[in-house]
Amino acid sequence: MSTHEHDDGCLHRMDAAPYVLGALEQSELQAYRTHLEGCAACHQEVVELQIVVNELPASAPVVPAPTAMRKRIMATVRSEAELLSAAGAAADRPARPVSRWRSRRFSLVGAGGALATGVAVLIAVVIATGSSSKETIIRGKTSGPASMAQVALHRRDGRSELVVAHMPQPALGKIYEVWLSHGKHSPPQPTNALFSPTGSGNGQVDVPNSLHGVKEVLVTTEPLGGSTRPTTPAIIKVTLRA
Amino acid sequence: MPRLRRASVNSKEKLRKLADEELMELVAGNDAEAFEVVLERHEAAAFSLAYRICGKRSVAEDVAQEAFLALWRSGARYDRTRGSVRTWALGIVHNRAVDSLRRTGVHERRRASDEGIEQTLEAPERTDSQAIDKAVSQEIRGALGELPQEQRRVIELAYFGGFTHTEIASMLGTPVGTVKGRMRLGLQKLRGHLQGWEAVGT
Repeated sequence: MSTHEHDDGCLHRMDAAPYVLGALEQSELQAYRTHLEGCAACHQEVVELQIVVNELPASAPVVPAPTAMRKRIMATVRSEAELLSAAGAAADRPARPVSRWRSRRFSLVGAGGALATGVAVLIAVVIATGSSSKETIIRGKTSGPASMAQVALHRRDGRSELVVAHMPQPALGKIYEVWLSHGKHSPPQPTNALFSPTGSGNGQVDVPNSLHGVKEVLVTTEPLGGSTRPTTPAIIKVTLRA
Repeated sequence: MPRLRRASVNSKEKLRKLADEELMELVAGNDAEAFEVVLERHEAAAFSLAYRICGKRSVAEDVAQEAFLALWRSGARYDRTRGSVRTWALGIVHNRAVDSLRRTGVHERRRASDEGIEQTLEAPERTDSQAIDKAVSQEIRGALGELPQEQRRVIELAYFGGFTHTEIASMLGTPVGTVKGRMRLGLQKLRGHLQGWEAVGT
């Protein structure tokens, strides 16, 4: 990271505050993030102002959470924990440990019950793939911050997993999100698979959706929690055969 | 029906003595009971933030619920060097709440008349017995209250209203540069207040 001109000379110095408040326009975000990587003064200001923004939630009037909310959340959490531990016991596959990243596998729009069912289906698939069926591995292309990374998509019995190595950590407050592209005519479809690599740059994440009709598997950098539309250009592209 | 869980090894009482960061290590191993303790600690702050942004209980509940499930599912990715669990959780809530505003068109209505913002601002404060740091809450509210009104307004419109700087500029009939300047000045003043407090951001 090289230092930029002196503080006040930077053209972007007024953008740190709207950035940390989430008030930059979508169209400005990418350029500003790129700028931050090279401007020590702006980076420092963002870090300092972010500390203030982190305290802003405390200024919201305190309203007790509905008691039913915790019950609903915990019903889903418990059923997923049981399913995941069942999968962990059944998945006796030394070469392929259960992913250390549980992806945000299914849309959360529905009720907890529907979601738990979705996870159950997925786990069943995971267990069923313990056999020695054929695996295909497709190498991906990387660019931007991920240009030094190695990427491969592993497919076996309809289950797909994206495996990365030498992948940098996403920026503060960001996470990588997996998308499926069906072609140029439609926007990439979010997958609910979010990940960040380990400190050593390794990682694997399940690609939860079917890859039927998918042309490319993409990865972008998104705010924590993921986005419904990509907010940054793809840094990983895996092209599937038609 | 619930079967014996690995998590039951840890009694709730023991879990409640752990720091959030330690609990998240258990959550990374799919420990639902550890997650419940995290949820107990932060659900009020999360719901309050979601409610402040969305202005509707049902929407706020959906947003907070989604955020906590995302937190549960990404527990293995929590990195303590990047800030507290609370900050991480509330960051997810904020993102999702603003997304929800922008998606549902509530945002459009508020843009036409930003009274909604003022209404939620004036919402009667309720007391709550749960573990939220009331001292910090009062301090930050006090500090916001001391800001010049035009600075406080742009910060709140952006952070709680989900408006961009250009939207705020057109709402207020003010140049964009002025809006950005007010945001910056306001946040810098708040930072001055925060620096006077102990252990901020640690």
